[in-house]
Amino acid sequence: MQNLMKKLLLTALACTAAGGAWAQEQLNVVSWDGAYVRSQILGFIRPYEDQTGVRVNVIQYSGGIDEIRRQVRAWNVQWDVVDLELFDAIRACNEGLLEEIDAEQLPPAPDGTPATEDFLSAGLMRCGVGNVVGSTVVTYNTEMLERTPESIKDFFDVSKFPGRRGLRRSPQGNLEWALVADGVPRERVYEVLDTDEGLDRAFAVLTRLKPYVEWWRTGEDAIRLLETGEVSMSAVYSGRVPDAVERGEPLEILWDHQVWFFDVWALPKNGRNTERALDFLHHATSTESLARQANLIPYGPSRRSSLPLVNESMRAQLPTAEANMRSAIELDAHWWSENLDRIERRFERWLERPVQVPRRMPR
Amino acid sequence: MKHNGNRVALALAALAVVPGLSAQEVAQSTELEQLRERVIELEAQTDDMLQAAVAGSERVADQAVAAHEPDVRIGGALRYNFIHRDFVNASESKYGESGFDVFRLNVDGEVDGIIISAEYRFYSYMHTLKHGWLGYEFEDGSLVQFGVNQVPFGLLPYAAHNAWFGVPYYLGFADDYDMGIKYQREDGPWSLHLAFYKNEELNDPGNLNRYSFDPAVVPDDDQYNEQVNQFNARVAYNFGRGSGCETELGGSAQVAQLYNSATDRSGDHWAAAAHVDTRCGRWSFQLQGLTYDYTPRNPEGVSEDTITLGAFAGAYAIDSQADVIVANVAYNFDSPWERIDQITCYNDYSHMTKSTEGALDSRINTTGCAIGSGAIFTYVDHIYANNMAYFGNGSLAGGGEDRWHSRLNVNIGFYW
Repeated sequence: MQNLMKKLLLTALACTAAGGAWAQEQLNVVSWDGAYVRSQILGFIRPYEDQTGVRVNVIQYSGGIDEIRRQVRAWNVQWDVVDLELFDAIRACNEGLLEEIDAEQLPPAPDGTPATEDFLSAGLMRCGVGNVVGSTVVTYNTEMLERTPESIKDFFDVSKFPGRRGLRRSPQGNLEWALVADGVPRERVYEVLDTDEGLDRAFAVLTRLKPYVEWWRTGEDAIRLLETGEVSMSAVYSGRVPDAVERGEPLEILWDHQVWFFDVWALPKNGRNTERALDFLHHATSTESLARQANLIPYGPSRRSSLPLVNESMRAQLPTAEANMRSAIELDAHWWSENLDRIERRFERWLERPVQVPRRMPR
Repeated sequence: MKHNGNRVALALAALAVVPGLSAQEVAQSTELEQLRERVIELEAQTDDMLQAAVAGSERVADQAVAAHEPDVRIGGALRYNFIHRDFVNASESKYGESGFDVFRLNVDGEVDGIIISAEYRFYSYMHTLKHGWLGYEFEDGSLVQFGVNQVPFGLLPYAAHNAWFGVPYYLGFADDYDMGIKYQREDGPWSLHLAFYKNEELNDPGNLNRYSFDPAVVPDDDQYNEQVNQFNARVAYNFGRGSGCETELGGSAQVAQLYNSATDRSGDHWAAAAHVDTRCGRWSFQLQGLTYDYTPRNPEGVSEDTITLGAFAGAYAIDSQADVIVANVAYNFDSPWERIDQITCYNDYSHMTKSTEGALDSRINTTGCAIGSGAIFTYVDHIYANNMAYFGNGSLAGGGEDRWHSRLNVNIGFYW
């Protein structure tokens, strides 16, 4: 009996000694990079870890739904929660790749306002819950330009504003800007893009700029292009700029025709951690979490109740601030969700087209 | 690891204070030892798991990106030729010929920080390694390549836009590959190449199954020269870099020994080139002047006026001293068709003036277009040559013929 007791005790001790790390619950949260993910980590991910003891692994990606599709279809889902651009969320939802989320179950605002009334209208969808209102803006290096650009047309004018340009390697936003630079009013952008002639027109404008463009994939890359002087002007995610300015970079935002959009949290289907993921989503989209994030990066919270909790100085820098919205274009997530596959194929092929005599051709 | 060690110590200490454990029970040390090993094993497993996982929100991982990017890429091409030669009766009578050109396999990538790039080519009459080198990129972006790599001389990477190339290629001064080490770096608008080549790419001057032209040892030829211990330097300055209208000005130098295996003596060889390479908007202009000299130590009585070069399973003589000029122009059209990605049309001209008294000049002019559509890339070239190797009785040495010959060459390739 004594021997048996000893064995049990020894085994228990050994397991305790070795198994501490095994017992900790984990959650894989997929998001973006740079100052943006930092605002999420400090704003609500670390507090969530402290409150729940769950280890949150933050995985970086740069958009798209290919990886989600692959994981969900294979029933090998490693991504528990994903921060998606709204048009990607719509596409993934329509493909049945995401869990449906009951908005009624989301935490109400502190004053008791139900979440369904508290969120901005586009912030709630069948498979996602609004995170922030982000924005893509033109930003320029003040030390590389002799004069100050005043409109989006100046971005496309390399003779008046010499220097290379940075653009995201995706059609969204770029085609809209190309049309505006070509004289299309912002209200008619998607109406024009919806036609073959309009699409050709947008690509033709981009073709003229193409020899001067450096293409970036992540928000950090965009800032780096400006910091290193590789480009004099670049499309960037607006929230990344103040962080770079704080580091002493001579950057200035041109708010003209900013393209604003929603990001949403979504849960891939067939996950093993869905309950915990949903719990995290509720936490991340609470009034307080969204406000804490907006105090760390100037992106608009998708809940109305969060806004009063955002510092005055930060509010002026939000894409949704009145002064910044005068000529803004709302990225039409529904239009892109229907057209992205078709246009992205054309865009990728267009990217491969040389606009100069190639230095190296297949031999 | 420190916390793991602590955990092991804690577990063992706990074992030591378990009530009832006494000296007599030391006999049970085997069991204890087994448990200790089990603890260590579990610790190791825990470590593995922690290594595999991302360590919490403090770190941002790029798992998805890393997981899907292969380190080494296998590629290749399969190409066919459609030809009409006005200097071949059968070609005239048959209204042209067609056939397999080349099948090539490429390996490009990086393994443990070492870059690899290799290309092997299969022709109907030979197969050979076109290039194969290992490289290392330093933190400052400079690169060293070791193995069979492209000789840095003159216009790079090619001294022509067309598929048939121009005179420099047939003299071994363009798209030439040798065995050696090359260092290349860029400092703003400056670029520098320094290289040393021990010998030609196969270390077998008698083997003509090669892609690029080098001095060769050929049966029934009395020269026995091979190019060894070659140094190359190339410096270039790029005006308007990144502006969409840039011009590279450059100079190249090449010196080498010319070892003669019949006399066991070494002659020498040098070459120099200056080039201008402009790409402005959709236009490209290339100019190059090059001069070279071979001073062989041939066996007694063997002329030193020519040097025998070999490649593509054949050999011919070239003048041992000559000057060459290259003038190329090209324009990249904006394709009006969605399925056509690239239309680049060009006219490439090159002209060789020989030093041998009375030797006829050699000239080649190619007008054509390169058309790209997805994985298919087609060259449509009309080659017009005077006194060129592979065209009638043309010769790059003395003699030959002062006649223009034409070759319509359509090269269709599928690249992956």
